[in-house]
Amino acid sequence: MKPFHIFYFCFLLIGVSCTDVVEVDVPEAPPRLTIEASLDWERGTTGSDQTILLSTSTPYFAEQKIAPVLGASVRVTNEDSGAEFVFEDQNNGEYTTSSFIPVIGNTYTLEVIYNDERYSATETLVGASDIVDVYQSIEDGEDEDALEVNVTFQDPANIENYYFLRFKSEANLFPELYYIKDEFIDGNEFTIYYEKLADEDDGITEFQPGETVDIAFYGISKQYHDYLRLLVEQYENSGNPFSPTPVPLVGNCVNADNPNNIAYGYFRVTEAIKTTYTFE
Amino acid sequence: MKQNKKRNGPAYWCLALSLVLGSSLVQAQNNFTISGKVTDQSNGETLFGTSIFLKGTDIGAITNEYGFYSISAPPGSYTLIFSYMGFNEVSKQVVLDKNITLNMELVEFSTQLDEVEVTAEEPERAVLRKPEMSVSKLNIKTVKQMPVVLGEVDIIKSLQILPGVTSNGEGSSGFHVRGGAVDQNLVLLDEAIIYNTSHLLGFFSVFNADAVKDLKLYKGGIPARFGGRVSSVLDVRQKDGNSKNFEMTGGIGAISSRLALEGPMFNDRGSFLVAGRGSYAHLFLKLAGEDNSASFYDLNLKTNYNLNKNNRLYLSGYFGRDLFDIGGSFSSSYGNASGNLRWNHIFNDRLFSNLSLIYSNYDYELNINDFEFDWVSSIQNYNIKYDLKYYFNDAFKLDFGASTIKYVFDPGQIKPTSPTSAINELQLDKKRALESAVYINAEHKLTDDLTAQYGIRFSHFNRMGGQPLNDYANDRPLVYNSTLRIYERQDPIGETIYSKSESIETFSNFEPRVSLAYQLNEVSSVKAGYSRAAQYIHLLSNTSAVTPIDVWTPSGKYIKPQLSDQFALGYFRNFKDKMYSMEVETFYKTVDNRIDYIDGSDLIGNNTIEREVLSGESRAYGLEVLLRKNEGAFTGWVAYTLAKSEQRTPGGNAGGPGINNGEWYSTPYDRTHDISLTGAYQLNDKWSFGANAIYQTGRPVTYPNGQYQYEGVSIASYSQRNADRLPAYYRLDVSATYRPNRRPDKKWKGEWVFGIYNVFNRKNAASISFGQNLETGANEATRTAIFGIVPSVTYNFKF
Repeated sequence: MKPFHIFYFCFLLIGVSCTDVVEVDVPEAPPRLTIEASLDWERGTTGSDQTILLSTSTPYFAEQKIAPVLGASVRVTNEDSGAEFVFEDQNNGEYTTSSFIPVIGNTYTLEVIYNDERYSATETLVGASDIVDVYQSIEDGEDEDALEVNVTFQDPANIENYYFLRFKSEANLFPELYYIKDEFIDGNEFTIYYEKLADEDDGITEFQPGETVDIAFYGISKQYHDYLRLLVEQYENSGNPFSPTPVPLVGNCVNADNPNNIAYGYFRVTEAIKTTYTFE
Repeated sequence: MKQNKKRNGPAYWCLALSLVLGSSLVQAQNNFTISGKVTDQSNGETLFGTSIFLKGTDIGAITNEYGFYSISAPPGSYTLIFSYMGFNEVSKQVVLDKNITLNMELVEFSTQLDEVEVTAEEPERAVLRKPEMSVSKLNIKTVKQMPVVLGEVDIIKSLQILPGVTSNGEGSSGFHVRGGAVDQNLVLLDEAIIYNTSHLLGFFSVFNADAVKDLKLYKGGIPARFGGRVSSVLDVRQKDGNSKNFEMTGGIGAISSRLALEGPMFNDRGSFLVAGRGSYAHLFLKLAGEDNSASFYDLNLKTNYNLNKNNRLYLSGYFGRDLFDIGGSFSSSYGNASGNLRWNHIFNDRLFSNLSLIYSNYDYELNINDFEFDWVSSIQNYNIKYDLKYYFNDAFKLDFGASTIKYVFDPGQIKPTSPTSAINELQLDKKRALESAVYINAEHKLTDDLTAQYGIRFSHFNRMGGQPLNDYANDRPLVYNSTLRIYERQDPIGETIYSKSESIETFSNFEPRVSLAYQLNEVSSVKAGYSRAAQYIHLLSNTSAVTPIDVWTPSGKYIKPQLSDQFALGYFRNFKDKMYSMEVETFYKTVDNRIDYIDGSDLIGNNTIEREVLSGESRAYGLEVLLRKNEGAFTGWVAYTLAKSEQRTPGGNAGGPGINNGEWYSTPYDRTHDISLTGAYQLNDKWSFGANAIYQTGRPVTYPNGQYQYEGVSIASYSQRNADRLPAYYRLDVSATYRPNRRPDKKWKGEWVFGIYNVFNRKNAASISFGQNLETGANEATRTAIFGIVPSVTYNFKF
């Protein structure tokens, strides 16, 4: 439910509008550390293997999208048990451990030391709700003739829950990201669909039988939900007049030594349910 | 400015008024008065703004909204002159030895019938002298002559080519006056508040030009009789309906068509007007197999009944609706509805009164069929208003009155549409408020060269109970987290339930309004003005352009009323025997308590708006120049505005630096330069031509300053709000009107209007969005241009 987005669509529909790619001069900010620390405990696994990605930001139109950070020190501590997990530098921007112990409800602290500056973040591991069903349909969704995949989950009643749902089709370069809060659906079974509308210009085709989609469903904290909501909204709609003015995204990785130089990205600790669906 | 003056405020003013009136009656005994009504001879419509004066003297008057005038002068013989732009001047000999009632019918110049003209409210002679400034008045004929997009005459777009008025880009709703926001404009249609001025997200205005008599935009120097908005007042008046003959007018265009019927009724004691408009482009889209559709329709009604020479009743109404349907998965409808019952009463030849009972409503409905629920929201008001005008003598006229508005806000409710819907039913707390005001305003000729208009409005706002309200620790719904450097929404610590008989909060404000005109010589004058205005209701909108689903919210415990102060200074001059005129004005305007939205604010379906907003301020200043050619076969104007509009929101009670680090930033509607040229040329009886050229600085936007990878996508980073600009906007439009030979005996009159919008097919960026190419993954900037070149043909008829 993104009414702004829908109105923008109406707006384009009634206008004799056209879109084209143009050259634009954009400002350039100095590079900044980006921490993608997503400790996701996939249900049915031990969750011991975890990877944290460190990189720096690049100019908006730079061809080099990823500038890996080497030589940082990365460590996660379980504040409840005192257990410490050191992530080893793989010299490609990845920092890994194979001894992580996830416990739902426990609080974890991340510490990254890079360029003599110490970044830290705290997050609590949130459990995921159960997925009830994953199925395909045709007549639902925006296009009555296009295939879509549906994920149904059960929201527990009387507690605030926040979810992150990620679809990634093998046919596409990019995932589809959904943030969900249970404010309006508390205690109910809820279904989210992912449908692709054909777009020749972008080389997007509808789902085809045989196409495989990776689905990941996460239980997340309220604060991460708010971060993700802004991230996804700005990723999908930046610049259209019916969306809010884009603003700096502020994650939870604060910089104790240089508070202005807060890191991009987020430290999240979640329980995840992962599955794959192949269209018939 | 929180004072509890409700009890003694109005009573005090009533007393003051009666004293003023009492003394004026005593002083006026030596004079006699001439009063009456001025109408258009062809259709009986009253003429607002007719100038009436006694030849050889400085004594004169201007007809009011109902065509009424009153002049008082010492006994004697006079020549009375009636003049109204586009009509033959009439002179009439009168012997003033008693009070006289004189109604006058004016006849239009036949040759000027179709000429383009910007009608000044009265001939320039008086414009120079009247202290009223910062006012734009457009005659509906002028509006109809301007080239238009999609063949539909659009009042709002016509206003935007005057200085100081801009839009937020093509296809965006509403308009901005002197750096003000859309919700700071009070838009009235026959006195009823119109909350959304656009159809189809800004492509059409809600005003049907066939039903409108005239419109007046107050950009500053807002008279004391208006209140409730801090930026401007757009006062649109519907036609009364032809009281002499039945008449049908209409137009057929590619997107929409319209039809209006008017004529006498009640045995010639009254008249009526019914006008309707609808779009049908969606039908073609459906035929073309398009699942999505967008359409609108609206209806205007007006009737009046003459009880006797001193009493007249008017009833008017408006109903408009927009409909969207996106492939059956999402549909929406929204619109305004309003009604007004008025009673004009003439107490005597000096005292004119009008009582109005007004209802207005704006509501929308979203049907989200995919998730099986409806979302509805509305704002309603009931307004009672009593306005009086007392013509004390030639040098002193007094307006006074009182008004009260009851508001009911329904910020939203969710209704599941099927038993299997996963969405729970929800009703956000309804809000109620009462906005009352009394005012008095004098137009006072101090010397032969110096005229003043001064008045005061006392407004009072009562945010009524009948709802619960959250309590927060230390009364702080938002608190700055200095570690994460974000504003965090606080959890309520309790709830206070206010009963319907309680007030949640009350506010009172004195709003002084003063303007002065000093005539330098026969052809030029200078004017200065100051006005203060209070605005008690706010449109919640954190997007660059307002949307139809934005919700209004009243001031209360956490949101304070907006208060504006505006100073303006102007120089006015006529050249070459009034053939040319020039108006130059500068203004400086500040608004306190302008709400702003925290990063990541979420306004729709939110019961706790106080956790999304901070209170800030805004300021705007600028220079406006209008140069017009008023007469001849070629008429037109050049308008130039140089302006700045910005806002700042410190953290205040919530702590922290505030929004955008507490620094000033450009509002989304800031335009540094805005130039428009409008011209019309009457070639002969059959052909006339029009053209507009417009140049504007691009809209402020926020561009990304870097990128980083997260969740497998490239995320843009942003810094300062609105620090960048879209490319400049410019376009040229032309139109040609062809009127075939009209035989005088034939009632049917038709005309063809051919138009080309954006002749050079320039792709003006309505927006530039940033994202990844879905095939290559490279970041790119995508420009959306709404209108390229758009030709149109419309056939208008009248019989």
